[in-house]
Amino acid sequence: MQLGTRRLLDRAFSGLGFISIGLMAASLLVILTPIFVRGFGAFVFQGTIEFRRMQLERFERGDRDEIEAELTTARRARQPVYEMLDAFDTEMGEMGFLERREYEGPREELEDALRELLGPRPEDPVPVMARDQYGATRWDRAREKIDLVLYRTEYDYSDRTRMGVPVSVPRVEDFRGTALEALFDYVELHATEMLRPRWTLYLRFLTDHSIDAHFFGGIWPEVLGTLYLTLGAMIFALPMGVVSAIYLVEYAGEGRLISLLRTFISTLAGVPSIVFGLFGLAFFINTLKITESKSLLAGSLTLATLVLPTVIRASEEAIRSVPTTYREAALSLGASKWRAIVTVILPASLPGILTGVVISMGRAAGETAPIIFTAAVSVGKALDFAKVKFWETLSEATPALPWNIYNLATEHEAVDEIRHVQFGMVFTLVMLVLILNATAIFLRARISKKLRG
Amino acid sequence: MEAPAFDLNIPEARADVPESAPQEHPHILARDFSVFYGSNAAVRQVTFNIPRGLVTAVIGPSGCGKSTFLRAINRMNDLIPGCHTRGELIFGDQNVYGPQIDVAALRQRVGMVFQKPNPFPKSIFDNVAYGPHILGIRDRRKLAEIVERSLMRAALWEEVKDRLSDNALGLSGGQQQRLCVARALAIDPDVLLMDEPTSALDPRSTTRIEDLIAELRGTYTIAIVTHNMQQAARVSDFTAFLYEGWLIEFGLTQQLFTRPKEKQTEDYITGRFG
Amino acid sequence: MEREQSPDREQSPDALAARRSDLLMSARASRAKRVVAFAGQSLLFLLTSSSAIVVLFIFYFIFKDALPFFQLRSLGEFLGSNRWYPTASPPEFGSLAIFLGTGLVTLGSIVLAVPLGVSAAVCLSDILPFGLRQAVKPVIEILAAIPSVAYGFFALVVFAPLLQESGGRLLSVAVWLVGVPICGLIVIVLSESVAARLPSEQRAGGRIVAMLLLGVLTVWGLYRASRGAAGLEIVSGTNALNVSIILGIMALPTVVSVSEDALQAVGRELREGSYALGATRAETILRVVIPAAGSGILAAVILGIMRVIGETMVVWMASGNAAQIPDPWYNFLEPIRTLTATIAGDMGEADHVTGSARYHVLFAMALSLLAISFACNLASEWVVRVQRKKLKG
Repeated sequence: MQLGTRRLLDRAFSGLGFISIGLMAASLLVILTPIFVRGFGAFVFQGTIEFRRMQLERFERGDRDEIEAELTTARRARQPVYEMLDAFDTEMGEMGFLERREYEGPREELEDALRELLGPRPEDPVPVMARDQYGATRWDRAREKIDLVLYRTEYDYSDRTRMGVPVSVPRVEDFRGTALEALFDYVELHATEMLRPRWTLYLRFLTDHSIDAHFFGGIWPEVLGTLYLTLGAMIFALPMGVVSAIYLVEYAGEGRLISLLRTFISTLAGVPSIVFGLFGLAFFINTLKITESKSLLAGSLTLATLVLPTVIRASEEAIRSVPTTYREAALSLGASKWRAIVTVILPASLPGILTGVVISMGRAAGETAPIIFTAAVSVGKALDFAKVKFWETLSEATPALPWNIYNLATEHEAVDEIRHVQFGMVFTLVMLVLILNATAIFLRARISKKLRG
Repeated sequence: MEAPAFDLNIPEARADVPESAPQEHPHILARDFSVFYGSNAAVRQVTFNIPRGLVTAVIGPSGCGKSTFLRAINRMNDLIPGCHTRGELIFGDQNVYGPQIDVAALRQRVGMVFQKPNPFPKSIFDNVAYGPHILGIRDRRKLAEIVERSLMRAALWEEVKDRLSDNALGLSGGQQQRLCVARALAIDPDVLLMDEPTSALDPRSTTRIEDLIAELRGTYTIAIVTHNMQQAARVSDFTAFLYEGWLIEFGLTQQLFTRPKEKQTEDYITGRFG
Repeated sequence: MEREQSPDREQSPDALAARRSDLLMSARASRAKRVVAFAGQSLLFLLTSSSAIVVLFIFYFIFKDALPFFQLRSLGEFLGSNRWYPTASPPEFGSLAIFLGTGLVTLGSIVLAVPLGVSAAVCLSDILPFGLRQAVKPVIEILAAIPSVAYGFFALVVFAPLLQESGGRLLSVAVWLVGVPICGLIVIVLSESVAARLPSEQRAGGRIVAMLLLGVLTVWGLYRASRGAAGLEIVSGTNALNVSIILGIMALPTVVSVSEDALQAVGRELREGSYALGATRAETILRVVIPAAGSGILAAVILGIMRVIGETMVVWMASGNAAQIPDPWYNFLEPIRTLTATIAGDMGEADHVTGSARYHVLFAMALSLLAISFACNLASEWVVRVQRKKLKG
């Protein structure tokens, strides 16, 4: 081949490498950006007066007088809407039967849409479900609700070869010439006065309990459940992993039994996580009967078996990287082997072991499949070791971030209504894992510093 | 045999060491002693005595088994898989490789300083206190006493007395090596083994270690492995020359360096090989 | 033992001397010590082998609960039929479609992850300067650290609607993005080989003509392909394509880091030998480094496959969970269903107290998964051993 072409091919080859790395970085960016941006929106958003009312009534937060004054102002702005509805009702009373029948459906739909936007009318009885007691608490939701008030969706079936195409039809057309005709312009123009959106920092999203299946409130039970499951897994996996690593590095020879043991450990590392879930169910719950059904304990044990090989491998590496000279120095001073391990080798390898542990914690925190059958429930209150007996709390099932992300995103009855909660959960989980990984990187940097002096 | 061109300055203090010292005051006796790595012999049927309270140097080209011999004395070779010995190595009145020897107790009497300074990544105080701590001394005041005395003996006290709680890895290489000496002295051993203690140090630190050896001479039995012949000549009373595992020659340092009996010794000390 | 007394020595604290144990142990003490050491080691061994015991337990329990299925129903039904109606009466448990679903997704993601991952690894180990490499490492670490449920959520909530609404356009852009560099390379190589056959005085002209011809042909082909892709209508965003892309991204860190290790293990001497013969970097890597690291890269691919096959959340959330064989079988735009998702999804509904066939079929699937991953694990270990032997001598 010609030299010029060879050089060109060489360049192109490097270019392909750069493109791959670029694609990898881009996919990371593409995945993280919506999670970060919209997840951030669970904490910082434009809250309406309904949000502040909810916070006041449910969590007793905010200045009562101020909020009530604001609520009065907002209700005054809403008054014309209700007056128009009432006027229309009188108008309908005067209509003939057939004409009235025609208006009844649309009016019903309109009132429902308005209720979703503004909440129940002040003079109505308080609804049972919390989700019905408040209007739109977030301005981004409110804007969608305003669209629901202004437009209704119809399907266009004119092209028979395809599925129906949704078309938005202004509701104002339904009420031409009635008392309600002016309502739509009014809602569109005065929405901000009726709801009074304001930038809100809702940090307590993290530490609030949830109200009415995550319609309002925060994600504390999930966060706490994840933390407990992770810690529980580490309590079992850390000592086992470190002891195994000590044995493998310091005592085990090169025998056939040991190499078999190593194969087993790497097999354990490759077992699919869902199989761990089945194993946890079949072994810890159905066979050992450590608890009657799903529980924090069973979930922790299952996660512990999952992260055990990771902990062993990391600890092994950390112990192996301790210079032999330390070992020799300790032994030459008359220390027994075990003593040398405990007093010199383990302290020196501690940062390395911790690095592995922290990374394993990230893995345990994010795993979903193993806890589906062993620990996780979709709705539950935050675990509280202080109030109930220790054992009882251990044998309770718990919500956990990964499971509830799945649950809220697929099985919740109003998936679209609580997108912000889902994104908030994903954001929290990803941040948790990233913080753990950053800690690991920090620890790793410290090791090299410490070992080199 | 022509006299080797070797400049030798024997200090006054060592001029009157009798040639018979190893026979009269033996501390460590090797009798037909061999060390094997698997089937390879690293030390072959070595026989000589290390005299009590004096400094004995072991020299020889690299790979001659001198470090292996030294590490055999406090059984550090036990760490190496496949390593075994034949013959006798007697410390005091006990065979070091006897069946009932308590290796930990042996190592508490035979301290060791390694080629590279190897302080633990702990504070200076904890480094020195490590040995006494193992012996069960927990009293902080008593430990402080031992630490101070050991650091003084190792001529390091003045330099570190204000920063005993600093990490030992922050010391310079020479200071680290003296710390290792202090650490070995803290359990008050009878014997101090030094495995090329200055090979990783600069000349000034080397001088300080050599001065230290001179000071410790008389109090401890010292065996030092070195491939620096000048150093062996400067610090030792007796010298053993090992070559390919065999003991070629053993005798008063002065004699070995000025009037070697063996051709190989002469070749080595005159720099013809090694 | 007699001691030489020196003034310095007399200060030696009695505390130390008293605490020193005797050099000689009594026979009893020595035996006791040996017993303690042996007991300690045995205890350590037992604790260590508990992970082996866990593996055996996993195999045992999965097998134990899978066996009744094959007694209740037949293996032929399990693997030979694609009629999956676990709740009908009588129920049917043909899992062929589910196995094929797993295979399809694995295939798709590996086709994405391996070229991308290996070329990224090559770039990391041989092309990028040290500083940049350090900057790319965290990207890989973060990709590996993101929990699978977050990937699944992204696939379901962000990616699936995007595919559904503008999937055709996305695909046509992808056709151009992937096609242009690859086809460009092919055009250059082809026209070069055409030119090589011509007599030397016509070579330069022939090369240009061939390049132009092939170039026009390629652009036309790509245009047709992208038009075709743009015209595609994606009925549901939760389909095999979606899942394959996301799983491919998830497998990337494994593929990249393992194959980078393999490439790094190829010594500098080998590379320098090739450079010394006048080879360019690309030729060195393609002809010398990659063949030498071949089995290591194979291990990376196997580990990537393991990661993909065992993944649950992404496929459960975003594959559409339809137990059907796509038509035609390689149609990635149709929803599919995988083994892991079936286990996760059906376990909650299967009655695990009475032990119905529906409960046991899930264990039979888990057993299949376990067998596959065990085989992959053994294969990768074997491959790594071969690699190590090859590099050693």
